[in-house]
Amino acid sequence: MTPPPPKKKKTTCSDKIWGLMLTCRESCIFSGDLEDLIQAVAKVFEEKCTLAEGQTLSVSCPTNTNIYSKSQKAWQRLKDNGEIQTLAITEGSSQVQVGKYFLEDIPSEGMLQVRMINLQVEDSGLYRCVILGPGDPIILFSPVRLVVTKSSLGPPASDDYPCQTSVQNPTLPPITTKLRPRPRTVTQLIPTPTNSLSSSGFTVTPTNVTRVTRALGISIVIPVACGLLSKTLVFIGLFAITQRSFAS
Amino acid sequence: MSRRCALLVWALLALLGLGVAQKDCGPIVSRQEWKALASRCSQRLRQPVRYVVVSHTAGSVCGTPASCQQQARNVQYYHAQQLGWCDVGYNFLIGEDGLVYEGRGWNTVGAHSGATWNPISIGISFMGNYMDRVPPARALSAAQSLLACGAAQGYLTPNYEVKGHRDVQQTLSPGNQLYKIIQQWPHYRGHTPAPPPRRIQQWVGLEEQ
Repeated sequence: MTPPPPKKKKTTCSDKIWGLMLTCRESCIFSGDLEDLIQAVAKVFEEKCTLAEGQTLSVSCPTNTNIYSKSQKAWQRLKDNGEIQTLAITEGSSQVQVGKYFLEDIPSEGMLQVRMINLQVEDSGLYRCVILGPGDPIILFSPVRLVVTKSSLGPPASDDYPCQTSVQNPTLPPITTKLRPRPRTVTQLIPTPTNSLSSSGFTVTPTNVTRVTRALGISIVIPVACGLLSKTLVFIGLFAITQRSFAS
Repeated sequence: MSRRCALLVWALLALLGLGVAQKDCGPIVSRQEWKALASRCSQRLRQPVRYVVVSHTAGSVCGTPASCQQQARNVQYYHAQQLGWCDVGYNFLIGEDGLVYEGRGWNTVGAHSGATWNPISIGISFMGNYMDRVPPARALSAAQSLLACGAAQGYLTPNYEVKGHRDVQQTLSPGNQLYKIIQQWPHYRGHTPAPPPRRIQQWVGLEEQ
């Protein structure tokens, strides 16, 4: 396995299989702005939901049957100026309604159900389920990026899964990811780190869908390719032997 | 035999060797193979599924394909005939023989974790009682391969989350020993969201999340 050529920018991540992981990692780290990277890291953990006015947002935030059954849970909105607005809190009771916000805490099932009815365009923004405690709140599920559109998207869906599950990270160049978040792996594979970026040896947890799908694909493609290669070699060998025996 | 004929024969043999169907998450012991009764279930799971719930049957252990097939039938008998469900409750069962047994499969809503979780999760169950023992490595790796393949095939989201049965229901399942093991699995997320790795936090100056 030859080491990848250094500073190979803009490498498409669909090169030869052996070089793929290495060249992709190297070039993918270096391409793209620092700011894009920060934005991507922040955004990579959001769950995007797009709904029309009048529809209902339903979010299921897993808690845990054993640990937080007695704790207070809340639905909060994170404003652009950094302010956190608490919209509803489960005050020891299992169900709470504050205006358009419904919270239903089901400790026996380890789930907090949140509903926002009659959505308006002004409701668009970033929300989250939290467990309130003495210290910092514990964030459940992922922050939800809600986008409410004016136009009706047809009849309201039976809202089990109103949110898209893909992570909002469309145009950013792929960030180094690994299936398992073992931070050491990247530094091991990159031979000559020419940038402090790569030497920090970070990995992004696998919430970047396209990257992880690709990494998963790679982890299946490589054994398949090895199988293909060995079988081809066997075939060629046997063919050569056959030729010799028929030629004589 | 002519030269061309020999060439063709070798080509066909090579192709046979190459031709491994990559569509399924094999090897899984199919329902026909373990002689399951027909399913009467009709509720389809919405895909891709985000959660996987790991449980144990708390019943007998089986160590060979023959005994595990029998055990799978026993579990189905209990669920479908005695409890009156439409089929065995789990989507997949894992035997100590290291094989995965097809239950309701990827596409049908299971009956393993209550009304809140069944429609949003895949339930896999290790056949046995794992309060005081651990499943053998081949069973654990069979389960992990199943899930990895499920994610690769699109049945599970790439960022699927593994939960212990006791995280989502009031139960001892999957048993203390097995629960400890799955908490070490990379996709396990029992309570809080996994924060980004430490290095990113420091490097980009994020405090939390």
